[in-house]
Amino acid sequence: MKKLLYAFLLAASASIFVVQAKAQVIVIANNSVKATEVSKNDLKDVFTGASTSLGGGSVVPILLKSGTANEEFLQAYIGKNDTAYRAGWRSLVFSGQATMPKSVDGDAAVVEFVSHNAGAVGYISKASPHDGVKVLAIK
Amino acid sequence: MNRLLVGALAFALGAIPATAQSLEDLNIQIHGYATQGFLYTTNNNIFTTSSSHGSPAWSEAVVNVGAQPTPKLRVGVQARYFLLGNYGNTITLDWAAADYKVNDKFGIRFGKVKTPTGLFNEVQDIDPSYIWSLLPQGIYPITSRNSLLAHYGGVLYGTLDAKKLGKLEYRAWGGVRVLSEDDGYFLVQKESGSALPNGLTRINEGAAIHWKMPLPGLMIGASNDREMTSTSTLTQVIALPTTTINLTGTEKIDSLNKPNFFGRYEHNKFMVAGEHFRFPVIGAVQFGAPPASAFRVDQQAWFGMASYKVTEKLTAGAYDSQLVNRQSALGPGRYQKDWAISGRYDFNQYLYAKAEQHFVQGTALGYDTTLNPNGLQPNTKLTVLKMGVSF
Repeated sequence: MKKLLYAFLLAASASIFVVQAKAQVIVIANNSVKATEVSKNDLKDVFTGASTSLGGGSVVPILLKSGTANEEFLQAYIGKNDTAYRAGWRSLVFSGQATMPKSVDGDAAVVEFVSHNAGAVGYISKASPHDGVKVLAIK
Repeated sequence: MNRLLVGALAFALGAIPATAQSLEDLNIQIHGYATQGFLYTTNNNIFTTSSSHGSPAWSEAVVNVGAQPTPKLRVGVQARYFLLGNYGNTITLDWAAADYKVNDKFGIRFGKVKTPTGLFNEVQDIDPSYIWSLLPQGIYPITSRNSLLAHYGGVLYGTLDAKKLGKLEYRAWGGVRVLSEDDGYFLVQKESGSALPNGLTRINEGAAIHWKMPLPGLMIGASNDREMTSTSTLTQVIALPTTTINLTGTEKIDSLNKPNFFGRYEHNKFMVAGEHFRFPVIGAVQFGAPPASAFRVDQQAWFGMASYKVTEKLTAGAYDSQLVNRQSALGPGRYQKDWAISGRYDFNQYLYAKAEQHFVQGTALGYDTTLNPNGLQPNTKLTVLKMGVSF
């Protein structure tokens, strides 16, 4: 039995070397957000509830409910699929540490929310129109 | 009554997932989850269930209501129905707290709040959040979970940016912890005729540090929960051939420290974690005139675990968990070793199923004598199946 378990641990360790594909999504922010660029780690912190600030100002993440851009963003910057990602948020909600971020249908709804709410940060497909918001460069 | 409430809760959980959305106008959110477990053991009956015949006596349902009236202020409350064998079968308050977060560096939470000890204590009751059906029982015993989860008081928290050295998350807490009369810690005592009719109320304080290291995904940490000296009323029933004698006395437990040391590494689909925990108790019981009768417990427990996301929906994992009570007599009752393999399948973001196989040696945890009248076997295989829904 123990040999099987050790084999499992070895196989799991091999996954460390998996290479990720680059995402075709952009991160957008309300014009009130001071930051113009964001590191992958800071972005992950904001979208996993570990942090509520960017560039010295408060931010509020907004999520896509589903879709390709959602999957790509989560895979590239969070390292989880949608189910695991939302399970992480539920852990925070059920332990009293956070409120679940708002989720909307489609890129247009993300742009609409981000453009009208101070501190809002979201993600959309590169190809989607995004007038009225700023694009954050990923360091 | 409780079964009616559970039925209503389960119906609500199943029927209204759509209402999980934020109620925008009031900035209120409603979330919940429910689980149903099944236990089967090859030898001993575990967790006060009739598991050697297969037992479905493991149900939970949780409803959470939260609001964020301002960006920095959150309030929330969470209620739970819990049934495991003879434990629970009642609705309790998990937590009810207000949280004011000034910024990432400082926030305060107060009310009935989760106690942030160890790697899992804050989330050990949140079944949808991890792969395991049972967390390592030496550190996170499910029969004492409701008592250990939270305390009445407050938590200070924050994250300090250590630049190239990573980030330091801190927690500091204080308040009062209440262990109810029927808590798992008192099971053996209770079966010998002793009872703490008012439970055990202890002042506690503690702190925790989680160091998120420069290597992404790597965290190491430590916590210590200190409980102050407490004295509780103790009753003892002595059955004699012709009569019974009821005695009333006191149980005193000295102040104690409960330290945890832990670490976790996550990368892509892979997670590995480990933890060590010590629980040293020195106490005394006294009926009538001195001398008091002293007792000691010195439990040390640790585990190593790993999980891997095999596909989008399937996660597999394994852990080795061990516990030893260094004050206990030699024999199977002194220790518990538990190898577990686990699988979780997420049908969608709401519904999941878990299966887990344990290979248990030793009898230090989870057993009662009433449901094991012929004594305990030193080894047991335990199979756990679980279904859960969350929104």
